[in-house]
This record gives sequence, C-alpha cells and structure tokens, in this order.
Amino acid sequence: MDIYRDEMLDHARNPRNQGKVANPTFEFHASNPLCGDTLDLQIKMQGKPPKVSEVAFQANACTVSVAAASMLTEKIKGMTTSELSKLDEKEVISWFGGSLTTSRTECAFLPLKALREATRAGF
Amino acid sequence: MKQKMGDVQKIRRDFPILHRKVHGKPLVYLDNAATTQKPRPVIDAISKYYEEYNANVHRGIHALAEEATAAYEGARSRVAEFIGARNSAEIIFTRGTTEAINLVAYSWGEKFLKKGDTVLLTLMEHHSNLVPWQLLAQRKKINLEFIHVTEEGFLEEPQETILRVKPKLLALTHVSNVLGTINPVRELIKFSKTLDPKPYILIDGAQAVPHFPVNVMDLGCDFYAFSSHKMLGPTGVGVLYGREEILRQMPPFLGGGEMIKEVYLRESKFKDPPYKFEAGTPNIADVIGLGAAVAYLNEAGMENIRAYDQELTAYALEKLFGVKDLTIYGSRDAARRGGVISFNVAGIHPHDLATILDEEGIAVRSGNHCAMPLHTHFKINASARASFALYNTKEEIDILVEGIKRAKKILLVS
Repeated sequence: MDIYRDEMLDHARNPRNQGKVANPTFEFHASNPLCGDTLDLQIKMQGKPPKVSEVAFQANACTVSVAAASMLTEKIKGMTTSELSKLDEKEVISWFGGSLTTSRTECAFLPLKALREATRAGF
Repeated sequence: MKQKMGDVQKIRRDFPILHRKVHGKPLVYLDNAATTQKPRPVIDAISKYYEEYNANVHRGIHALAEEATAAYEGARSRVAEFIGARNSAEIIFTRGTTEAINLVAYSWGEKFLKKGDTVLLTLMEHHSNLVPWQLLAQRKKINLEFIHVTEEGFLEEPQETILRVKPKLLALTHVSNVLGTINPVRELIKFSKTLDPKPYILIDGAQAVPHFPVNVMDLGCDFYAFSSHKMLGPTGVGVLYGREEILRQMPPFLGGGEMIKEVYLRESKFKDPPYKFEAGTPNIADVIGLGAAVAYLNEAGMENIRAYDQELTAYALEKLFGVKDLTIYGSRDAARRGGVISFNVAGIHPHDLATILDEEGIAVRSGNHCAMPLHTHFKINASARASFALYNTKEEIDILVEGIKRAKKILLVS
C-alpha cells in the first residue's frame, strides 16, 4: 500500500486549477457525508462541439480528494460532454496506481461525483 | 479474587484478534469507542449455544428450549445486577443503544409528550440520541432545546438551562463519544428531582458502561441505554433499562409474537415488561454472548478497569500534548474524562492521518464520529479519535505517537 506516492502528494500540495471560473457552464458543490469534506467544481464549455475550455475547483478536503480533483481537472480540459460522461471510477482508481483502500476510494470519487452532478444538471 | 489490571498481558491473551498482524505490523487497536474486540469466553459462549442448545426461547417445553431460555434469562439477570437495576423486568433487550433510544421516543414519547413540550438534549449527543427526538419533534410538534458545551468540553450551565426551558425529558450522554467528557449526570438527576414537575431523564450510557461502574438506582435515572458490542460483547444487542413503573405505563413498541398474552382478531393483551417490548424471536445467541461479556468485566473488576482507563488516558494526554501542532478536543484532566481522545494535527486531514496510521497497523477512527453538531460547534469538519479498552497498553500509545510523527513527515512540507 502506497497511497502517498510523490505524484499524488505533488498534486495535493500544489493542486492544479484551484480557484474559480467566470461564467461557468456547469458547477456543483459536492460533499462527503463520511467526513463533511466539500468540493466546488466549475466548468466552462466553449466551441462547436462544446469542449471544456476552463475548469477550476475549490476544496475543503483531504489529500486524496484534493489530488483527485487536481488530476481530474487536468485530464478533462478539451473534453466534450460525451467524453466527460465516459470518465469512470475505474480510471480515477488508476490515477492512484491501485493503492486506494476501499474506504478511501470515496475520497477519490468526490471530484468525479461533482463532475457528474454538474454535467447532469447542465444537460 | 479480582484480577489486577496490571495483568494486561494476561488479558490480551484472552482476545484472539489482538494477535493478528495488519500490513505486517502487530495490530494496535485504538478504535474501541466504535466497537471493542471480543474475549474468548464471549466467542465460546455464542458457539456453545449454537453447537449444544440452539432453540427458541419462552415457547418450547423440550430440553433445548428450556436450556436456551435459562441461558437467555440468565443473561438478563446478570445485566440487571451489573447495572444495579431493581429486577430483570427493568432490562429490555434491543438491537443496540440506537434502538433502545428509539423505543423510548416511540413508545414513551408518543404517549407522554404533547405539542409544545420540550425535550432537552446537549450539543455533545451522538446522532442516536438526537435524530430520534428530531423525528418525534416533527410528529408531535414538541420543542428541542440544547445544553451548550464549553471550550473545555464540559456542559455549559446545565442547571440554568433546565430551569429556563423546563423540559419534560432530559436526554443526555453519560460520556461523550468524541470529547470523552464524563458528564455529572448524578448531580443533574438529583437537581432535576427537586423541581416540580420533575423532568424524566434518559441517559445514553454507550460509552460509560464499558469503562466504569454504573448503578442506575444510585443515579436515579428513568431510562438508561447501552450497547453490548462496545463492552466486549457481540454486535446486534443493546439494553434499555427503564424504571418498572414507567415501563408498565408505556405502550408496546413493536407488535408480534413473544410480546402478547392473548390475541383476538381485532385486539390483543400484552405481556408485562420486559416482554411487552421484545416482539419476535430475540437475538438469543448474542444476548448469551453479552452475558459472558458481563461476567468477563465483573471478573476484571469495573473499579480496576476505571483506574486503568484513567492511567492510560492520562498517559496518552501527556504524550499527545507533547506533539507539536496537535490539538486535543476536551478536558486535559483524565479524572473528568473516559478513554476517548479526539484530536487534529494542523495541516493534516484526519482521513489521511488514519490511512498512514493504518499502514503501521494502528486502528483509529476519523470523521465526525456520528456527532456532526459537536464538530460544527468546534468549527471543524472531522477529527481523529483514539479510544482505549482494558487490553490496551502504554506501548501502544507510544506507537500511536510515533505514527503521528511519521504522518507529519510524509504529509507536511517542512
């Protein structure tokens, strides 16, 4: 078990895309009932077909959630809504090299949960 | 002959699980406020029931049924004696503390509380002693009021609050499952009895009964609820103590077999307490297991357990206060708290701390410990919690402190 690898810690300590997006197309506030952690995700879609042009998050959350949000926001730039909808739990787990224990997968899924809710509300 | 708690190694030998390894390291189990481990006599008592005399209780006349009934009722008498109840009729077996409190809310609450009445709780209640009253408040339009909590984790002006809100029921925890605070329930009950009208009093004893002697007659409470699995017994069993004269006035909680005297098509006559409140086949095996747990605690001696708990808590408080940037919630005084210590390390999320401790074989809880309003009160989302039982050692606390230092090295940029 080695959740706290350098790559993960780097994302947690220096999160990419932290902050806010002006006039977002989608946004969602997600929370983890297990610990009360929260994460706000904002996405702006532009072009034809619409693709993710800007994305940002703000979190009050653990290392795993923040790292997952940082990695997720990096990956989804340029994605279409159909590509966004294909992003799944399996891929999120793979970002952590399969090192997550069952109880911590919920932390890693928090950004994905926000993404799904955000895009669902936006369609 | 009472066993001395100095014999902790002897006690540890009775708990098979304490000899397993977690991630290659010896298990350091410090999540006892969530559930304790089970000693061999408890595990054996449950197996013995299934292997030798499994039968339903109170209904057969064959040998197995008689043996099962004797063991089940024997456990009830043992529990009654353990907490100083007047008799076995005052001991109702439930699924746990949560169901015990819900039983009071549904049965007693529905009959004795009316619109506009007040139930007084505290900010440090476990959700199990909060949500049942919220549900009742919605059904019956009663008011909920709360005794506040000081920065040190004590109840703030409890007597003044009782005088001000004039509750019909005061429902509070004996020991906080987050702060470890031992509430002055005996004094509050004594004070409440001088009032006219007297409030009824329910105590959530889930974190008290495993750690020090509890005598319900001496306390003078009307209801006292606790769980088997937090006191070395199996999961799935709880106890509701209720004063017999109150239990007699209460309507049934659940209806069905076991709780009736006579049944007609449109009405039934119910048994006397405690059976009136035990509909359906009970959790026979685990009640027998609880009986074995009580015998084990008696053998160790509850006074000894309290003394050792206090010694461990004082040691842990001293060690943890020595860790830089670590905040402990609640009192610094081990005499006023049970063996539950919740804390946070600046810059480290409790889930991350718990994961790194887990890598070292150390089990602690992280989250809000089913006490979200208390966490909100202290302006935090979550905390880490170490909680002790009679089989923990000072060496294990040292391992915990080393683990916390390791987590700081991994997670904090120096």
